[in-house]
Amino acid sequence: MLKNKLPHHPYQIVDESPWPLIFSIILGITLLLFVCFNHQLMKHLNYWLIFSIIITIFTLFLWFKDIITESNYLGEHTKAVRKNIKIGFYLFLLSETFLFFSFFWAFFHSSLSPNIEIGAIWPPMGFENKVLNPLEIPLLNTIILLASGSTLTSAHYNFKLGNRSKVIRYLIATLFLSCLFLSGQYFEYSNASFTIADSVYGSTFYFLTGLHGLHIIIGTLFLFTSLIRIFKSQLTIQNHLGFELAIIYWHFCDIVWLFVFLFVYVWGY
Amino acid sequence: MAEEEEEEFTFKTAGFDARFPNQNQTKHCFQNYVDYFRCIKAKGEDFIPCKQFWQAYHSLCPSDWTDKWDEQRENGTFPVPI
Repeated sequence: MLKNKLPHHPYQIVDESPWPLIFSIILGITLLLFVCFNHQLMKHLNYWLIFSIIITIFTLFLWFKDIITESNYLGEHTKAVRKNIKIGFYLFLLSETFLFFSFFWAFFHSSLSPNIEIGAIWPPMGFENKVLNPLEIPLLNTIILLASGSTLTSAHYNFKLGNRSKVIRYLIATLFLSCLFLSGQYFEYSNASFTIADSVYGSTFYFLTGLHGLHIIIGTLFLFTSLIRIFKSQLTIQNHLGFELAIIYWHFCDIVWLFVFLFVYVWGY
Repeated sequence: MAEEEEEEFTFKTAGFDARFPNQNQTKHCFQNYVDYFRCIKAKGEDFIPCKQFWQAYHSLCPSDWTDKWDEQRENGTFPVPI
């Protein structure tokens, strides 16, 4: 879109975009189908659920493609716009913090003063030999995530210095560590001797760790997108907002894991 | 009030327990129930101080609850190790 006149302000006037509305609708449909899946309402709805998840991700991809176009090819992301986008992202992280806060509240509500129906003890009776030892895979996962935070910081530092090969190397190391974390969680989930349906312990445990795992998956995809964009030379030292936001998101996931590890695994042992 | 000639019958409730200061006395009832059965398991049925717990939980607990817990203990599904 050719602009005949430059505006007298540094802010971005966003062109009309269909993606917010379309994404909201598709996400709403996905969540409804997810509820149907949980209640086993219709046999063949499960395929529709997978289909709608794919469509959701694709819509998100198209939305971000437009943002990248505005940033890279139209130059609309001035310094002021970048600062505002960062503030917006921090507000989003604040809302995610409150999301986790609510599930931590549920966990503490049930575990600090356990009901008599589970025996007024935590972990509930029957869980003595089922509770996962925090010093095994969970500790390893903590170390993996902390290490990935440090490799990511090195990647960012090298990016600012302009060392392209080092950036790519450190970013791939971060992604590799993240995959190690996810496989550790997958192993634990497959081999745990309790399920989400096993009393309030199972519910709070799987909900917190599952929600965190979902955030790690999203963070990994975000970092992977940054890697692709670095390969394609779409990021500059002045404007690498996508990369910076991915880094902030990753550190957020790391901090949430520290809380999950300390309170759910170590304290709840 | 038929036993007036033999013993003076005194009404006695469980009394204040600082571990359970609030209005909801559920845990107070439950803890005395558990403590009674742990007491007789450790000390035998004839140990007199265990009666204190017995009196407390009979005073505090609804009989529905104690019946349900007795059944759970028989089935082996009582949620607390005794």
